[in-house]
Amino acid sequence: MGDQTAQSKQTENTVAEINQDELIMQQQRQIEKEIQDTTPLVGEKESLKALESEYTTDEIYLSKAKNLAQIYSFLRRTRPDGNCFFRAFTYAYLEKLLNNKEEYTKFRELARKSKDDLVELGFPQFTIEEFHDTLMEVIDKVGESGENGHAELHKLFNEQTYSDYIVVYLRLITSGQLQKEAEFYQNFIEGDRTVKEFCHQEVEPMYKESDHIHIIAMSTALNTGVRVRYMDRGAGTEVTAHDFPEGSIPSVHLLYRPGHYDILYP
Amino acid sequence: MAGSALRRLIAEYKQLMSNPPEGILAGPSTEENFFEWEALIVGPEGTCFEGGVFPAKLSFPADYPLSPPKMQFTCEMFHPNIYTDGRVCISILHAPGDDPMGYESSSERWSPVQSVEKILLSVVSMLAEPNDESGANVDAAKMWREDRKQFEKIADKLVRKSLGIPA
Repeated sequence: MGDQTAQSKQTENTVAEINQDELIMQQQRQIEKEIQDTTPLVGEKESLKALESEYTTDEIYLSKAKNLAQIYSFLRRTRPDGNCFFRAFTYAYLEKLLNNKEEYTKFRELARKSKDDLVELGFPQFTIEEFHDTLMEVIDKVGESGENGHAELHKLFNEQTYSDYIVVYLRLITSGQLQKEAEFYQNFIEGDRTVKEFCHQEVEPMYKESDHIHIIAMSTALNTGVRVRYMDRGAGTEVTAHDFPEGSIPSVHLLYRPGHYDILYP
Repeated sequence: MAGSALRRLIAEYKQLMSNPPEGILAGPSTEENFFEWEALIVGPEGTCFEGGVFPAKLSFPADYPLSPPKMQFTCEMFHPNIYTDGRVCISILHAPGDDPMGYESSSERWSPVQSVEKILLSVVSMLAEPNDESGANVDAAKMWREDRKQFEKIADKLVRKSLGIPA
């Protein structure tokens, strides 16, 4: 009898635990849905003045927003869903390439070849094909649209499937680069994880946020530079800049606020 | 969206047909609907589930492979990582973020380059080596830890049942 009570009590606890888990997940989905309904995947260009008005009561951020407005003119927001770095970067980079035929052609060739590199690294072809095809399709569509290139880019990046498939593929390129240079990147990985494990857990899954290591690997793989402006509670009134990889000439500028990346324009 | 999911599922099915992993059989339940699969999993050798043939079903979401499928055994199972209704609870089947307790931080996660084959292979390893820290079935986890003999007895009964042999 005593045993039975103990057992039924345990079952009750289990049920309570599961419900707790599911409640947390439900709440998280609710928040995600609210973000989805209110924030486009990639927004319109807005004046940096808009950022200042967000922080009228926050002196540290206000002074940094003012500083930022002296260096840049426009901001383009992306949806904060953990994919923002990859989405923001690719959008901004393709936008830039629209005005640079030579670099566009180079990038197209690099993107085209990248699939074979990934297959060589052991990614099963049937799992990467669709993502690679989508990136190539977007590169071509945007490139062939002439004057409408910007509008086409904006349209495709706000279509969930196109937009997400590109994010997946950029994550794979990043993972491939980390694995190719595993010996080097191992030094930056915390905990008892191999580079491969890190890629499986922190790079390849969607919605996982990007850290320095992701940015370094991706920009190295694409042979381009990213400048990230950091806006946080740190000391000073200026937004510090980091270039990835170090010493590169940035072709894309991003604004980082804790947990999120948006696009910046001079 | 569903178009790319369908293309991917067809590609995975072809892959599984041409190169089937040992002890695993899987494919769409009907030709009309590629989003519902049935699978047969053979209990791994040298474990208490050895020789059993366990049927399960897999349901794929419209945004597969961005999100993982769900998997549920359709036979009776008793295992720390399988809910009493047959649902399988292992990390590879969880979308990133669906881990409120954080106990799976070090294991394989779902990502779009995973596959049905990888899931089924993970399930075979799960049968061989239960993870008693994530208790989908706490009673089974407790018994696995504290009374292995009794656990093996139950597993043996399930193996016989799956083969239609009287206990």
